[in-house]
Amino acid sequence: MSRYIATRAIRGANTVVAEAEALLKAAIADLGPDTPVAFTNTAYFLPVNLAFMGRQIAKLSDMVPALEDAKRLLHPVPPENMWVPYLGETMDSGMATLLAEEIIEGIRFARGQEPQPITWDGTYIPTANFVTSDPMAKAGKRMNGPIDDIQLRAWGIQLVDGRMPGFAALIGCAKSTEVAVQIVRELQQRSILVFLSGSVNGRSIIHQLMEAGVEMGYDTYIIPFGTDTMATIYPLGFAARSALTFGGLKPGMPREILQYNRARVFAFAIALGEVDDLKYATAAGAINYGFPVVADTVIPQILPTGITPYEHVISMPFDDIEGKDDIERARKLVQRAIEVRGVKIKVTEVPIPVPYGSAFEGERVRKSDMRVEFGGKSSRCFEYLRMAPFDSIEDGKITVVGPDFDQIPPEGFMDMGIVVEVAGRKMQEDFEPVLERQIHYFVNGASGIQHIGQRDITWIRISKAAADKGFKLEHFGKILYARFHADFGAIVDKVQVTIYTDKAKMEEWLAKARQAYTHRNERLAGMTDDSVEEFFSCTLCQSFAPNHVCVISPERLGLCGAYNWLDCKASNQINPTGPNQPIKKGTCIDANFGVFEGVNSFVQQASHQAVQDVSMYSIMNNPMTACGCFECIAMVIPEANGVMVVSREDPSMTPAGMTFSTLAGVAGGGLQTAGVMGHGKYYLTSRKYLSSDGGFKRVVWMSSFLKESMKEEFKAVAEREGDPNLIEKIADERVATSVEQLLPFLEEKAHPALTMPPLF
Amino acid sequence: MTPAVQIPIEKWTGKVREITLGATAADGGTRAKTVTVGGENTLPFLSFEGSIPHSPAVALEIQDHYPNDWSPLLKEYWGDLLRDPAAWARKAEEVGADIIVLKLISAHPEGDNTDAAHAAATVKAVLGATGLPLVVLGPGQADKDNEVLVAVAEAAKGERLALGNCEDKNYRTVVAAALAHGHLVVAKTPIDVNLAKQLNILITDMRLDLDRVLMDPTTGALGYGLEYSYSVMERLRIAALTGDSMTQQPLICTVGEEAWRAKESKVNTGVPAAWGDWKKRGIHWEVLTASTQLLAGANIVVLRHPDSVARIKQTIASLMAE
Ligand code: SF4
Repeated sequence: MSRYIATRAIRGANTVVAEAEALLKAAIADLGPDTPVAFTNTAYFLPVNLAFMGRQIAKLSDMVPALEDAKRLLHPVPPENMWVPYLGETMDSGMATLLAEEIIEGIRFARGQEPQPITWDGTYIPTANFVTSDPMAKAGKRMNGPIDDIQLRAWGIQLVDGRMPGFAALIGCAKSTEVAVQIVRELQQRSILVFLSGSVNGRSIIHQLMEAGVEMGYDTYIIPFGTDTMATIYPLGFAARSALTFGGLKPGMPREILQYNRARVFAFAIALGEVDDLKYATAAGAINYGFPVVADTVIPQILPTGITPYEHVISMPFDDIEGKDDIERARKLVQRAIEVRGVKIKVTEVPIPVPYGSAFEGERVRKSDMRVEFGGKSSRCFEYLRMAPFDSIEDGKITVVGPDFDQIPPEGFMDMGIVVEVAGRKMQEDFEPVLERQIHYFVNGASGIQHIGQRDITWIRISKAAADKGFKLEHFGKILYARFHADFGAIVDKVQVTIYTDKAKMEEWLAKARQAYTHRNERLAGMTDDSVEEFFSCTLCQSFAPNHVCVISPERLGLCGAYNWLDCKASNQINPTGPNQPIKKGTCIDANFGVFEGVNSFVQQASHQAVQDVSMYSIMNNPMTACGCFECIAMVIPEANGVMVVSREDPSMTPAGMTFSTLAGVAGGGLQTAGVMGHGKYYLTSRKYLSSDGGFKRVVWMSSFLKESMKEEFKAVAEREGDPNLIEKIADERVATSVEQLLPFLEEKAHPALTMPPLF
Repeated sequence: MTPAVQIPIEKWTGKVREITLGATAADGGTRAKTVTVGGENTLPFLSFEGSIPHSPAVALEIQDHYPNDWSPLLKEYWGDLLRDPAAWARKAEEVGADIIVLKLISAHPEGDNTDAAHAAATVKAVLGATGLPLVVLGPGQADKDNEVLVAVAEAAKGERLALGNCEDKNYRTVVAAALAHGHLVVAKTPIDVNLAKQLNILITDMRLDLDRVLMDPTTGALGYGLEYSYSVMERLRIAALTGDSMTQQPLICTVGEEAWRAKESKVNTGVPAAWGDWKKRGIHWEVLTASTQLLAGANIVVLRHPDSVARIKQTIASLMAE
């Protein structure tokens, strides 16, 4: 905690509480103790005092004990030579400040001085009238005053349900009118409510906006509360009322109400211009709510995260912000404030000239219908998603480097690279491939666009119809920006897309991408079950196999092939209550079979006690259950002392005397059957494949589909197993559909399983 | 001599949450009576094994727009009442419903696309016409649900309506509206135990107490997925009784909607003569669907035909008898 800030906030609090006391005394003397006090059009009395202290202030005399609450929270200004972490004192002072400020506003209401009159050459027409005859409002000669309950309900529910991202309190006066307007526009664009208060040397952002002719009011999401710092109490009262209304909270529950705001109301303050004691004190009050403060002047920062989810106080001296002009600096200031508070931007529509939706995902673009293609036989195309440092990218920036395709003849081709850079507080490098794979689905959602492949074998076609409707390269960026925010907003805060068609640039990035692919492959290969503390569950299939749990480890993917360990990890970040839960491995009970205490207890609970023990690496001893989605079924062939693996694509008879579909009935349903197991194709290539039963060498028969479609992978496995000809020794449906045919084949090829220790 | 048969008794550790729909004047509402469901600590109707403090309730469904797609049998019975939700509700109360389920279909963007004020006015009118507790369902399109349910919640503050459907896509808004105005929600998930649990967790995260949440597990009609929904309901209920807190919500099933959609009940053209009397068949369809779901654990069955109400009430009464 900055001692400087603490000192000034504590001093500010002492001053404002004393001021409130003096004003109250005078008001009681002038008007009498029973004079009613009310913020108009609200049933929440003075909401901050109500929410945090449970006090229903209805007349001047009710303020006397309320002021005592504030006084109890005051602390002496720390002496010069004392160095303690003043956080607690500062937070208390902040709260005292808010209570006192609200009392002062209440007194002004009682005296008819609130809402603040507009005494200068400007107008504001409030949306709501306070009393039936509200001549000042009609003449446009008063500020807004507190937000009425009707509007509170309309906005509050949207803040709580996430339709509205949050609110920004702008306090003080911007560098120039131009900057003031830009800041407000930036916020408006993102549907963030803008609450205005405060001034510097008598000039307020409210003056600035009025001069610029910015329309204010409920409809434009810009509310001027008052030209002094005190008026900031209205937005904070609004936040307290939201919690009371929509959070199921009761007055007098300060902790819960503050926590609720911290967790659900994405608000922040921007202090524009010089920060005086009262502003420090008020800011301390806002920090209580978990609302961070960004100042455009030099002030000490409070970076450690604690009360606010992120930084508490950030200093961004306006003229030092990097940018070509003040407009850009204003943009960056707002961007930073949004990041600090973690306000999530919602993108609901994909702004492209062709229809968009998952219905178009399967669409094919035939050569004759094609306007242009990227990748395939004649050109190169790649896509690469990487995590970038937070400040190095700009959210929503889409750039096309090089020519668009308008110069390419119809049915022609060109090189292209799509580079997506993302940043987010919860983003991890490990999620890069998970997100990158989504590009396929996202791009395919556009009508008239076909996307095949990934990485540097991406192949994209744009149909003539789509091009005619105005589809351009930048639209890939628009799609990706919108979808990454919409679907992965939990881990991604910023998305920037660059599309390279410029030859040199494209090649430069292709090289970078290839380096990254290699790096990822190595990382994936190096990721072993032993190297992690957690596996993940998948219970998605419990909808039809109620007791089935997939346990997914780095070396064993889900049996449907759709989820590997990284996918689960990312999915858990996105949807923490969803079907992919972390499973702490816990004590290893048997390293050979792959039995872990944590896995067992998770499976017991998630299988509703149907399954007690699971071996990760064995088909003989408590194998993992299967739901029915398996890509392959492995089954022991006792006569051959090995296992056969049949894939879903293979309709033929197997040496087990059953086809895939008959076998599926035996393997599925969430039951453990020794000797039968469903699994994902890529599990076959894992070092842990049936490792306790002898590993891949046990495979004596395998559908030719697998052999063909995973040729390269199996070649590597054979090398690893020290038997380069291993795959040829494995029979398939072309040579054996019965045990009688299988055995001679194995004998002839001298399959290693024949000489391995007996399975039984 | 009585045979010495030992009835096995299962000792469950959990129980279904007790939930009250509707509020009388004493509790800030205007209902003449309230309905409490849930509270049982045993499987349906096994009163020898545990306690079942409340009978399942029977609701009748009404809509705020003439239901063009309903079976002619239903149209014939209700007649012109179908054009007046208030009168329809009054009649539903007369024929023995415990609860009224009002579906605001006119708000559907592909239908009349009526607005929030219209929805609020309809609910007010229905509240005025009947003293029964009300379940109010939106048109089933997330944005429109949000729009009308928020207005309804506000207009009927304190009535302890059940607002629905609260789904994955729009639960935040519906829950916030319920929180703000003292209502319950109907949490609907597509036939899946885990999704049902998850939605309850998410609702709890928003601080709505679980004694204000009903679960609609999405159910099928006889011949149209009834077995599947039976098994999901059964699993939910067994999980509840074994102590899984997030599955202990009373179940509400939209029986009428499903049963009257079946070909067997909806139409009588081009069907084999062996199917017999159409009207009997239609009622059978609804009654069989409802009674099956009651056996699976339904706490509220929502019906469409008054004849079914009478029969289901009778069934419940005999199953509840000691
Ligand atoms: S089969 Fe796939 S989707 Fe189903 S539970 Fe396993 S990993 Fe999840």
